[in-house]
Amino acid sequence: MLHNALQRLLQSILVLLGCALMIFIMLRIIPGNPIAVLMGEHADTAVIERMTAELGLDQPVLIQFFRYIGGALRGDFGTSYSLGKPVSALIASAFVNTLILALMAALFAWVLGVISGIIAAVKKNSILDHLFMGASLLGVSMPVFMTAMLLQYFLSFRLKWFPIAGTDSLAGFLLPAVALGWNSAGSVARLVRSTLLEILEEDYIDTARAKGRGQLGVLVLHALRNAMLPVITMMAIQLSGLLSGAVITETIFAINGIGRLAVQAISARDIPLLQGTVLFSAAIVIIGNFIADSLYNVLDPRIRRRG
Amino acid sequence: MKRKGTIMIACALAGSMLSGASVFAAPAEDGLLRTAIRYDITTMDVAKTTDDYMIPMNVFDRLFETRMTDGTAQVVGSLCTDYTVSEDGLTYDFTLRDGVEFSNGSALTASDVQYTFERLLKAGEENMDIPLEVQGADAVASGEADSLEGFQTADDTHFSITLSEPNAGFTAELSAAAMSIVDEQTMEEVKHFGSDPADTIGTGPYIVTEWKANDHYSLEYNPNYWGEEPSVKKVIVSVIPDAGTQNLMFQNGELDLIDLQTLDSAIVQATYKTMYEDQIVSTPKVGMSYLTFNENQEYLKDVNVRKAISMAVDVDKIIASIYNGDAIRENGIIPSGIWSHNDDFQAPAYDPDGAKKLLADAGYKEGEISFEIAMDSSSDGSIKLVGNAISQQLEQIGIHANVKNYDHAIWLDLRSSSKMDSFVATWGMDYNDPANIMYTFFGNEKNTAQRSLNYPDKEIMQRVAAASAIVDDAQRKAEYQDLEKKIIGEDAAWLPLFETLHLYCKGERVESFTPQWAGFTDFYVTDVVLK
Amino acid sequence: MFQSRAQKFARRYEKPNPDSRDRSEELKREIGEEETFFSLMRRMAHENKLAVFSAIVILLFILGAVFAPFLTRYSYHDMDLLNRLSAPSAEHLFGTDEAGRDIFTRLLYGSRVSLLTGVVPTILSMLGGAVLGVISGYHGGWADALIMRLADIMLAFPSMLLAMVIMYMLGGGLINVFLTLALVNWASVARIVRSEVLALKETEYVEAARVIGVPERTIMFRHLLPNCLPTMIVLFTLNVPSAILTESSLSFLGLGIQEPRSSWGLMVNAGRQFLYNAPWLSLVPSIAIMLIVLAFNFLGDGLRDVLDPYQKR
Repeated sequence: MLHNALQRLLQSILVLLGCALMIFIMLRIIPGNPIAVLMGEHADTAVIERMTAELGLDQPVLIQFFRYIGGALRGDFGTSYSLGKPVSALIASAFVNTLILALMAALFAWVLGVISGIIAAVKKNSILDHLFMGASLLGVSMPVFMTAMLLQYFLSFRLKWFPIAGTDSLAGFLLPAVALGWNSAGSVARLVRSTLLEILEEDYIDTARAKGRGQLGVLVLHALRNAMLPVITMMAIQLSGLLSGAVITETIFAINGIGRLAVQAISARDIPLLQGTVLFSAAIVIIGNFIADSLYNVLDPRIRRRG
Repeated sequence: MKRKGTIMIACALAGSMLSGASVFAAPAEDGLLRTAIRYDITTMDVAKTTDDYMIPMNVFDRLFETRMTDGTAQVVGSLCTDYTVSEDGLTYDFTLRDGVEFSNGSALTASDVQYTFERLLKAGEENMDIPLEVQGADAVASGEADSLEGFQTADDTHFSITLSEPNAGFTAELSAAAMSIVDEQTMEEVKHFGSDPADTIGTGPYIVTEWKANDHYSLEYNPNYWGEEPSVKKVIVSVIPDAGTQNLMFQNGELDLIDLQTLDSAIVQATYKTMYEDQIVSTPKVGMSYLTFNENQEYLKDVNVRKAISMAVDVDKIIASIYNGDAIRENGIIPSGIWSHNDDFQAPAYDPDGAKKLLADAGYKEGEISFEIAMDSSSDGSIKLVGNAISQQLEQIGIHANVKNYDHAIWLDLRSSSKMDSFVATWGMDYNDPANIMYTFFGNEKNTAQRSLNYPDKEIMQRVAAASAIVDDAQRKAEYQDLEKKIIGEDAAWLPLFETLHLYCKGERVESFTPQWAGFTDFYVTDVVLK
Repeated sequence: MFQSRAQKFARRYEKPNPDSRDRSEELKREIGEEETFFSLMRRMAHENKLAVFSAIVILLFILGAVFAPFLTRYSYHDMDLLNRLSAPSAEHLFGTDEAGRDIFTRLLYGSRVSLLTGVVPTILSMLGGAVLGVISGYHGGWADALIMRLADIMLAFPSMLLAMVIMYMLGGGLINVFLTLALVNWASVARIVRSEVLALKETEYVEAARVIGVPERTIMFRHLLPNCLPTMIVLFTLNVPSAILTESSLSFLGLGIQEPRSSWGLMVNAGRQFLYNAPWLSLVPSIAIMLIVLAFNFLGDGLRDVLDPYQKR
């Protein structure tokens, strides 16, 4: 077990290094001098050239890469061109917002998804089932910007229940969280429903029913417990996806999170910042997968026996 | 057990979400001004930026300020209370305001002013043009000398500056945000001037209290300020990248001042000019939007083609349809609002038939001429439509102008290679002196190659460069206007388009607002009066 | 590999996974008792009316895209600046946008982009992913290690961020959107095909082929790849709507299709400012995106039902 975990950890680190190299090379291929953008319309060419040399951007890519990794190991991810602050500090403050947003979105998605999934499975082929499954497909099919836009327009602008933007209070996170969670809720509901249906047809459920347990008892004691495994795994993967930044939601609701930081970095050609945010997001996904996988190993008895 | 715990946490979180929902839209406290920008500032240090002047303008003072008084821009003394100029126009004697302190209590002295000049030269980054005019500046910039030869300090409040060439616009230049006076002592002590609010110390009416990158920054009234106490006590400038969101926020009362330039002119027309008509504040954005031609391009090198294009573009129609009339037609290079602007200069009238004839006489077949108009896709809202409108109008005289949008960085690269066929752009004036635009676009070969795409006349360049040294204002004005006639009237090197009006809308809580004289997005907060 | 296990588990409940269940039925299908494509479609049409309806909706969109020039008398790019933001009317079915262009026209031309970005990059990524997946699964060894590590790296990036970075590297435009989406999506296809091949590799007929000396390449592309087809069709139905959504998001952020070309995401973004005065500007393309994605999802559901006997309804 431990050996297994160590091996997976090592692999994770290698993948992360691979990610770093890949993003590094990709960002060096982009045409256009980032410094010229940084300096603005009124800047002088000589100054631009000197700055480029000062920042080491005229060095070979591999040398720049090793310097970067060296710095990264000491926690130094460079300084953002466009915001003039250390990338690590910018990511740290943005991640707080992303974390709140992701947790709220996940909570919304999971509560809604699990409840509607259970109802749909229990009342299979009823009107409720069709209604929930239709809604979940709608959830999966609506572009995030549409959900966000509609919520912002009707609930904030028309009804004035929520602020349009701004994260001074938790209320500011509520609409973005719903917009963001809407999508995941749909897929959770569908997964819960199909898993439950499968389990409800297993023999031991029939046995339990035969023993005279009520519908609810069967559901809670047997079916749900067994259905949790794939759902939890999916949730872990979803959460790491949410944590790695919600580009569009954060842009529309003006939340200073990881996703918006990446957009800002792209529009300003801010290479250190873009590198940092993308790599950070990749790290979150890798960690999320690592945890999901470990969870899966611990929870699934079949694998535990084999492992 | 574990699961129970999770559920409890979940309930607690859900509860806090719901209770949070009831405290939405907290009312703004007294003396607070809330406004928004689309992109965060890069730095608070003028030595590192030519764009982000909001903090320099409000947290620092300059020797002079250009302020709007009775509708005209006037250079007035600020930290400088009095000055005299020598006969030859080279030496200025200044008197510094007495008893001014920086917000950390350090006193303002003449050596701080000298330090400000020398710092810009030594930093060698942005905004060194103005101090470069002082005698001995080159030596400081190159590191050969430590102190500025042309800067002589008599005592704490008296000093003189000697220029290497006379410059009639020098005091106007000193009012540019770039010339914000910093404290020598503070600068030597602190490590993060320009990035840490606590280290960014000036003499101005406000103090930076917070800068949360990509989120917001805030300014608060400086109780040690030497001038009058302003109406606004605190400013929060939020970074709201999405223009649509800004629009909704203003209408919901979450912003007290909105820069309408971020919105499409159609929305300004449809929403703001109908619902908020009395709250709109407008000022000319002193600067010039223009179309420039590459004089190495196959067709554009022919002056007849350039003239025909100038005749075939109906600028008035563009102003009416794209800007809903919120722009002033420009005919020359020096925009209205700059003191040597020529009111009488006339561009060729709109005459598509005449243009067609001109092309036919020059031996071109219909549809033969084609070129590309390069647009910077990052530029603000409406200007992007201008290239398309021009292209459409040129189609009528049989010229194919293909509009292509470039990413900002690539656009800049392409422009510095002088290989664009033509482009539409806007130059905003930094200070009220014609040299700021004339020299930048036609003053030397390097500038001209990039900014005016290979305008070839070296004699004109020499005359432009020499014109800044003419001490007599009337003579200088005449020279600039003569140059303008040659460059635009005879050579048709540019097609001057218009100067836009910068529109703001003030919210319910704002009594009055006076924008910066040149229509910058940044403004003096002291010019905002709350109800 | 380590990541794929958890993901595979989650996926099992959404997508077919032949090695997870009784092999005998699977084998039956492999050996030849397969329904023809046509009979499958008929069964789907019979069982799932919604899928049929969705197919018709998609067909309508395709017809609209193909015959766009005949369905409208306006141009999608010529501006009519005197006629900005006019409301829906007989003249302009869905009104005009901020540059006076007919929205119905831009919608028609935009559907070309959406349909093409749904299909072209998905086919590209399926082809690339399938070839690499087969090689990885069958060949094993260094090729497997190399391909799977590369896939691990690609899958570690959040797909939207990765797409943004690649788009930015390549610059906006339709072809670049194709390339980007193909680059972003090949890895998951490769992984799924690989696991399928790993299972198929052990079957009798592959072993038999190997024993009688059929060349490796023939086994891989003649025997293994066609057997992955049902899985790939299901994957295809899942990837098409997600590609359409990604394109619209990229264009919404200004990184996808560029003006004056039309894309639904671009239209929504341009129209957002006018939500208050002219809501049709962004609502019409939003609804179009939703409709087509919904239709592809329903159709995909229907296809999955008939192609994948293990999926419970």
